[in-house]
Amino acid sequence: MEKTAERNISISGSGTASGGEYHEVKVNGSAKIHGDIQCEKFKCNGSSHVEGNVIAENVKINGSTHFEGNLDAKEMTINGSADIDGNLHCNELKVQGSSSVKGHVTGKEIIVRGSASIKGNVSGEEVDIKGQVKIKSDCEAESFNARGNFKINGLLNAGSIDIELLRHCEAKEIGGETISVKKTIDSSGFKKLIKFFISQHSDQLTAEVIEGDHIYLEHTHAKVVRGNTITIGPGCHVEKVEYKESLELDENAKVGAQEKI
Amino acid sequence: MDNLISKKDLLEAANISYGQLYRWKRKNLIPENWFIRKSTFTGQETFFPREDILHRVEKIKTLKDDLSLDELAAMFSPSPTVTSLPTEEIIKRNIVSHTSLEMYINHFGETPTFSFSHLLTLYVLDSLLQTGEMNRSEGMDLLRILEEQANTIKETESELFFIRKMGVSFFIITPEPAKLFVESQTKMIAHYRMNQCIEELKLKIN
Repeated sequence: MEKTAERNISISGSGTASGGEYHEVKVNGSAKIHGDIQCEKFKCNGSSHVEGNVIAENVKINGSTHFEGNLDAKEMTINGSADIDGNLHCNELKVQGSSSVKGHVTGKEIIVRGSASIKGNVSGEEVDIKGQVKIKSDCEAESFNARGNFKINGLLNAGSIDIELLRHCEAKEIGGETISVKKTIDSSGFKKLIKFFISQHSDQLTAEVIEGDHIYLEHTHAKVVRGNTITIGPGCHVEKVEYKESLELDENAKVGAQEKI
Repeated sequence: MDNLISKKDLLEAANISYGQLYRWKRKNLIPENWFIRKSTFTGQETFFPREDILHRVEKIKTLKDDLSLDELAAMFSPSPTVTSLPTEEIIKRNIVSHTSLEMYINHFGETPTFSFSHLLTLYVLDSLLQTGEMNRSEGMDLLRILEEQANTIKETESELFFIRKMGVSFFIITPEPAKLFVESQTKMIAHYRMNQCIEELKLKIN
């Protein structure tokens, strides 16, 4: 990339540019870019539309951007809104605004503080959610942490799954080594206030199947829970539990059938 | 259901935990299409092709102390780990027999290096010759079909059949899983799964 890294695109009013190799692409007004771009830095403060694939070291979206192709970045921060029609590959992804991806999302660190909706699979080493996430397919990670609201239509598969419930969380299937689902303990005045207005008893996880080595559940509705050591905490409704080593049941948990294997 | 095994039975038979199974799935050590979801009277359950999964799990368990999970994944994936190998190396490391190599060179001419797909062709030729079930002229037919279908083998998981009836023999390459029915006088001499050949070859090379 060094050889042509001299050229920059900077659009401050409204304009169009063609694809190619650039050092920096900066949009302050509104821009349309035709073709594939390869650049060190892509920054959009206004609104932009890219008709092609993008390969960049660093992408920052403060305004709104629509990528029609695939996006491959080392680091990406979305403070505004980004729509990606293709796949997104990014080592460090941070979504503070809103984003929607029609393809798959892969990366090392995937952090969502705003909202994200993904049609394809999500896979990363670390997935951390404090906002709202919708995934239409599967989600795979070494560690999955959620303090927000998520809905996964496929399988959530992670080495360690740590969920603090906030409103309604949902996954079709959950599998991993250690799985922990707890009700949020945080009782700051602000959260209490929000909860008062929304609804009070809606913190809940719904899943059809939960399988893992060590499972701790609170306020979880599931058809089957299978594992080595299982604790079913308060507020759970589980139709069937299959365990290998130990099972602990809270007195406020409803369990249909239990079986030691 | 005979050739399928439920997840529960698999864990018990192979003595592994849910966590391990999910980790291996994440690392692509177990192909997605082996997870077969079926509704049973106890609800949704996952089944696996019995032979394949037991074989695979056994392999992972024996190799996982020596290789990292990523290295294992590379071994099981149909894409090659090594792009090419020099001809001398093949002779020196005794990857295939001398006869097979000679046949290959007679057919295609001398080459200083073998690409992975050529190596695979060579490897399959050698294994079939070693069984003693295939003669040299049939070996030439095999070389031809493998060469022609090199792309199919690379892109899709395929199977190779070697069939003979009343002294006439032929080869079939078909995508996996194939269901082939043959009449009674026909003899199925060999049935190879190319993916398994690729795995074996990778193990031999590394």
